[in-house]
Amino acid sequence: MTSETQGTQAVVAPERTGQSSVSVETARTYTLVILIDERPGAVDRVVGLLRRRRANMQSLTISHSEQSDVTRITAVATDSDVAIGQLVEQLRKVIDVREVNNLSSGQMVERELALIKVTSNPQNACEIIELGRQHGAYVADITITSVTLEVTGNAEQVGNLIHLLQSFGISEVARTGSVALPRGTEESKA
Amino acid sequence: MQVAVPMTQTTGAKQTTQATRSPENEEARELAGSEILCEALVREGVELLYGYPGGTIMPFYDSLTSYPSLHHVLVRHEQAAAHAADGYARATGKVGVCVATSGPGATNLVTGLATAFMDSTPVVAITGQVMWSLVGRDGFQETDILGITQPITKHNFIVERVEDLADIVHEAFQLAQGGRPGPVLVDVPKDIQFAKTLYRPKASVTSFEHYRSTRKPEIETENIASAVKLISQAQRPLIMAGHGVVLSQAYQELQAFAEKSAIPVITTLLGLSAIPETHPLVIGMPGMHGPAHVNNAIGASDLIVAVGMRFDDRVTGKVAGFAPHAQIIHIDIDPSEMHKVKRAAVPIVADAKEALAALTGAIPQGDHKAWLQEIRGWEKAANERGKVLQNEELPDPTTILDAIRKETKGEAIIVTDVGQHQMWTARFYTWTRPNSHITSGGLGTMGFALPAAMGVKMGLPQEAVWVVAGDGGIQMNIQELATLKQQGVALKVAIMNNGYLGMVRQWQEFFHNHNYSETPMTGPDYVKLADAYGLKGMRITRREDVEQAVHEAMETEGTVIIDFVIEAESNVYPMVAQGKPITDMILE
Repeated sequence: MTSETQGTQAVVAPERTGQSSVSVETARTYTLVILIDERPGAVDRVVGLLRRRRANMQSLTISHSEQSDVTRITAVATDSDVAIGQLVEQLRKVIDVREVNNLSSGQMVERELALIKVTSNPQNACEIIELGRQHGAYVADITITSVTLEVTGNAEQVGNLIHLLQSFGISEVARTGSVALPRGTEESKA
Repeated sequence: MQVAVPMTQTTGAKQTTQATRSPENEEARELAGSEILCEALVREGVELLYGYPGGTIMPFYDSLTSYPSLHHVLVRHEQAAAHAADGYARATGKVGVCVATSGPGATNLVTGLATAFMDSTPVVAITGQVMWSLVGRDGFQETDILGITQPITKHNFIVERVEDLADIVHEAFQLAQGGRPGPVLVDVPKDIQFAKTLYRPKASVTSFEHYRSTRKPEIETENIASAVKLISQAQRPLIMAGHGVVLSQAYQELQAFAEKSAIPVITTLLGLSAIPETHPLVIGMPGMHGPAHVNNAIGASDLIVAVGMRFDDRVTGKVAGFAPHAQIIHIDIDPSEMHKVKRAAVPIVADAKEALAALTGAIPQGDHKAWLQEIRGWEKAANERGKVLQNEELPDPTTILDAIRKETKGEAIIVTDVGQHQMWTARFYTWTRPNSHITSGGLGTMGFALPAAMGVKMGLPQEAVWVVAGDGGIQMNIQELATLKQQGVALKVAIMNNGYLGMVRQWQEFFHNHNYSETPMTGPDYVKLADAYGLKGMRITRREDVEQAVHEAMETEGTVIIDFVIEAESNVYPMVAQGKPITDMILE
């Protein structure tokens, strides 16, 4: 889950040693929204399947949806079109899965939140805060030896800020992973 | 988060269908969970269960004696219960049921469930579990069987409230049979079996058609049109029929399609017996141990109509070298099989029976005589049937198989284990009766044959059922001889005994420089063993005695074991090395 593989740019697909002759070509980053019945074991089944089918996972976010009995999973994976298509069909076979939607990057709003603890001293704290401010980050906590920034954005924006802060020394990063909605009036569970 | 809202989906479904049902409800009775379990099984039409009692499933066994229509077969190991349920399902098309207690009972089912999962057969497993109040505290004989079986079942349930039990059982049966079939496990904590609730039998059967996996997909007509176009243009087409044809009982539809299209037919290991091998269009089995003419035909083909098969690696060999000139029309009920291994030019997500009927109706009468003759020409060049024989004195696989076929007039159901004998039987038996070949294809489970055959025979008691097994596999579930004796079930067992784990030895010969590491093996005296179980056993060491022994086995009541001593180092030819193209065969 490094920031380098985030975003929508094409990257070379990891070579599969498996049996498929279907060409891997180039891999892209896909955001899958998986709506599942909120039942015992349902999350387990989806996560287990992602592992078994060798999904190249970037992030995984699990939480409630607008419906009381539906859990919303947002999975970001990097792979070829064909492999993602396979994964979607496999997910749709899981009994607890109601809908799987592959959101294309142009038509979705995608956000993640990160808490970034940067090593600081009284001389550079202001500089860190200012850099964060330019990227829309807030100060979540500040001590004599650290500044913790809170930033929201798409995976690429969050990745960029983390990259820029590395020169100060980052002691800890907590990222939520992406959540996404389709733009405008479209519904992902169409 | 997940625990907060238990089973809302199920209870919701129940309420909606309840409203539409006629109010002829039988009087609601207060029953214990264990009784509801039995009631639900009876209502699903279950007659046979294979199982083994133990601590946490005891309330169910206590209730079972009050339900005489449920015939329970006490196996000697839970693995056999799962295989027997699987065999019963394969033979009858109905759901097979197995029962085990928690912990080791449940974990012993695992191999059998994985076998059923890989071959898409409908099985429902019921397991006891420690009391719900104790789950998660490592109680005596507690295992997380839901977690363990999650990747090898189509779905699994743990029952948290007795009110949900009947629905869950009915749901399990629907899931097991619907769409692409598969095993479903229901884990029932002991206190749920004791707990009482009002049970209304008529209200309990619900419909779960909202589940995608239980639905039959609608055929997309434009795909049929595209397929017809490819079929009419093809010069060297082939049909490859797999287990899906057997599962949807599309025997007549396959034959009608083949005859109208005039396309030669290949049957995969689990597709064997879907169409008579005596039919002039049938050319044989593909893949690692397929005859040369079949693999060469695939290599030369320009169109493959794949029906109910999934391009397993034992069929394709190196995928890039598999049918390099062919386009694929892929018919399968499971959309996730499309493009998984081979990209399909025309994917048809449908039941095999319906898709074949639709295609047959849409194509003109074809003619591929020249192509078929070309394939037949290759067949003559490489007839491997004789190559098994080197020692003229000993019984040999083809003589044994011919004798069984002759004695049973081709009407017997043959259940094989896994290994060399499995390949010899697949290749040389000449399958004519639909669904007469039963084997563990996907998982390749040694020890499958004897218990699975018990399920086959009990599902079809009028039929002759033969087990063909190696001396390795037969010893893996040999304890079921006691079950067969106790139940009075008559199987005829042919052991092809070469004193080796023969297939592994063959690989060692070809790929590991004859280093026969841990493959020579001894076995018991099968005559004495049979005798010890109260059964008849024979040991046959001369080829000329084979026919008589088979005849005598059929004449003898009850289960008979024949220990055929075959040549120690016979090989299965041809053979394609793993990862090689299937046209790159070791012929002798």
